Amino acid sequence: MIDVLNYKLYGDVTVYDVAVVVFVMAFATIIAKIVTTNLRRALIDKMRRDQLELMLKIIYFGIIIIAFIAVLPALGLNLSGLLVAGGITGIILGFASQSVVSNLVSGIFLLWEKPIKIGDQISIDGVMGFVEDVNVLSTIIRTYDGLYVRIPNEKLFTSNITNYVAHIARRFEYVIGIRYSDDAEKAIKIIKKLIEEHPFVLKNPEPQVFVDNLGESSVNIIVRVWAPSTEWYSVKMEMLWKIKTELEKNGIEIPFPQRVVWFANELRANVSKEEGRQT
Amino acid sequence: MAFETSDKKTFIQTKQRDKVFGYHDIEGFQAEIGEYRMRTERTGPFYRYIRENGDKIEKDISVEKGRFIINPVEPVNTPKNVTNFLQIKFRKPFLAEPKSSVDVYATFPVEIAVFIAAKKSVGIVDIFSLQKPKYTLYGNPRDGIICRYWESDLYSEIPRLDRYREGVIKLRIVNSDTEWIEVKNAVFDIYGMKIYYNDEIVYSSASINIISPKVAETKFIEQPLEEKMRKALELYTARRIAVTALKFVMEWGL
Repeated sequence: MIDVLNYKLYGDVTVYDVAVVVFVMAFATIIAKIVTTNLRRALIDKMRRDQLELMLKIIYFGIIIIAFIAVLPALGLNLSGLLVAGGITGIILGFASQSVVSNLVSGIFLLWEKPIKIGDQISIDGVMGFVEDVNVLSTIIRTYDGLYVRIPNEKLFTSNITNYVAHIARRFEYVIGIRYSDDAEKAIKIIKKLIEEHPFVLKNPEPQVFVDNLGESSVNIIVRVWAPSTEWYSVKMEMLWKIKTELEKNGIEIPFPQRVVWFANELRANVSKEEGRQT
Repeated sequence: MAFETSDKKTFIQTKQRDKVFGYHDIEGFQAEIGEYRMRTERTGPFYRYIRENGDKIEKDISVEKGRFIINPVEPVNTPKNVTNFLQIKFRKPFLAEPKSSVDVYATFPVEIAVFIAAKKSVGIVDIFSLQKPKYTLYGNPRDGIICRYWESDLYSEIPRLDRYREGVIKLRIVNSDTEWIEVKNAVFDIYGMKIYYNDEIVYSSASINIISPKVAETKFIEQPLEEKMRKALELYTARRIAVTALKFVMEWGL
């Protein structure tokens, strides 16, 4: 057994040295797992999720890299030699795995630039959903209908990203059409009151409610309001129906499209006495 | 600068509501604040907490022996927590004299929390408010912050208010600049807000240090109106790592 452990693989490196390296690396991985799991549990409600995940990744890989550097001498490698070799190897690997390196570099730039973070709602190349994870090679999106989408970081980096929650507040608008016979000022007053009553329709920037244009079938009132980005969708859904029902309660109706038709010649119509029959 | 006098506000005080803030036994608990009615019922091994105001909220509490603590908390929780900032907009702007310091009183909305205390630990059961909440944006949509919005007059003396609806906050406005500066609002980071209460008033204290015509620094001060006041349990103390300073810099205008 001892003979096997002392068996030289190359140079002065024995089987025993390799076993120690494997053991240390396995131990470091376990330690890294334990540390990150406990840190996640301790900090999950005290830090933003994206910052926490980034910090945990740095700690996890930091522990493994430190352990790796520590065991390098056991493998007969020294760092200065490794750097030279690493430079040459890096060039070779770079050519051989161009797309992987490209994704890696894009991932590093994405982590630096931070156009998105975990939990954000984004749209990219027709994929809309929540950012689940930002890795060094790819980004994971959970679409609104629950699908898992993996986007390579290179594609993400070169695409137009729309982040719906990057800013703290966002605006949305409705066009409310009312009949020509209705009082537009009264409608505006009703809408403004509803807006004022809703907690998440922001006081500032000030909401705008005004007659925008005189349409073919209706007087069109524009309603523009701001809401916190985290709440805007629920506010948008809630407010439209409230406005509709409140206007109707006050005798203001949203008209169907209509058109007045004038005939060049007088139109003759005979109404028969039979019920419901017209010619 | 004309201040509102305290007698302009209605002071509502009924014997029934006098002692709602404070400690209550969970067994047979019953309390009423405004349109809110709270009570507990024994349901097998649990206590059921019920709060009604048209809607009904029920929670089963697993506790052998405990007490409720009802007190005012930081006003950023209803209808749900979206921010930890409070903006008090002054109904009339305040013009601060150069190199001066003045104490004025404003109001803030009161939110009421029901805590359960047992085995040397405290948990939140319910938070509600008699005030309709409203939120606003301070700054711009890119860099600004969402704040709980509240409008208040400024008073030269402590106004008498319905303590279940409005609290009084003493504002020490310090103008460190050499110019006259108009202040229209104050924005506070709710972390660090200390609320005190007694049978008559809900009270807090803060300072606004005006650095320039567009920048001020605000912070809460740990100072009750009088020694005998009770300090309210806080919600925003240990929930996150206290790496951020408790001061807030108003950099998007006063």
